[in-house]
Amino acid sequence: MAGKICVSLTHAGDDADRATVAFVVANAALGCEQDTLVFLSTEGVRLSQRGYAEQFHETGFAPLAELIASFTSAGGRILVCSPCFNKRGLDPNQLIPGATIAGGAKLVEFLAEGAACVSY
Amino acid sequence: MNSPTVPPGFSADVVWNADRLRCGELILALRNRIRLLPSGMTLLLIAHDAGAREDISAWCRLTGNRLVTSQHPHYLIERKAE
Repeated sequence: MAGKICVSLTHAGDDADRATVAFVVANAALGCEQDTLVFLSTEGVRLSQRGYAEQFHETGFAPLAELIASFTSAGGRILVCSPCFNKRGLDPNQLIPGATIAGGAKLVEFLAEGAACVSY
Repeated sequence: MNSPTVPPGFSADVVWNADRLRCGELILALRNRIRLLPSGMTLLLIAHDAGAREDISAWCRLTGNRLVTSQHPHYLIERKAE
């Protein structure tokens, strides 16, 4: 039975290095057949917007938008913290594929099912 | 792209040179490729990422695919039975 992995990401353009590594690890988890969720909160929620991640490409890594697209196209899920999203005035009509706005209960449900969590 | 000489004992049904793919990119791409193979078929992965030395064996343990043999950068993997 596959395990569960949560990658909690609290950065976006403010720290593209962390944001990139978070999605590299998320891809690794998914590649290892783990049920993998990326939880975006605080500044991380900006990555939920179409066209935003395209500006970031850290040396030695694939472009961030490509990492995100690889993750979601392979079945990875992205949860976006609702209050963080609203605080920043982001647009729910501009969510990237695979991203869903949710609250803490949805995250806790996943964690309570025995997920390991790594935070960036 | 590097094409290192394949060592003896590494013949496979399919060869994939992942070249400089690393970490999560490598692992996810490997998953996607091995899924295309019927059970029992072998994939020779050529991966130059230094992390592959530990990652490929860990991936095999997690996914149930068999690491037949390895000699970095060559990893011979057998697709598991479904």
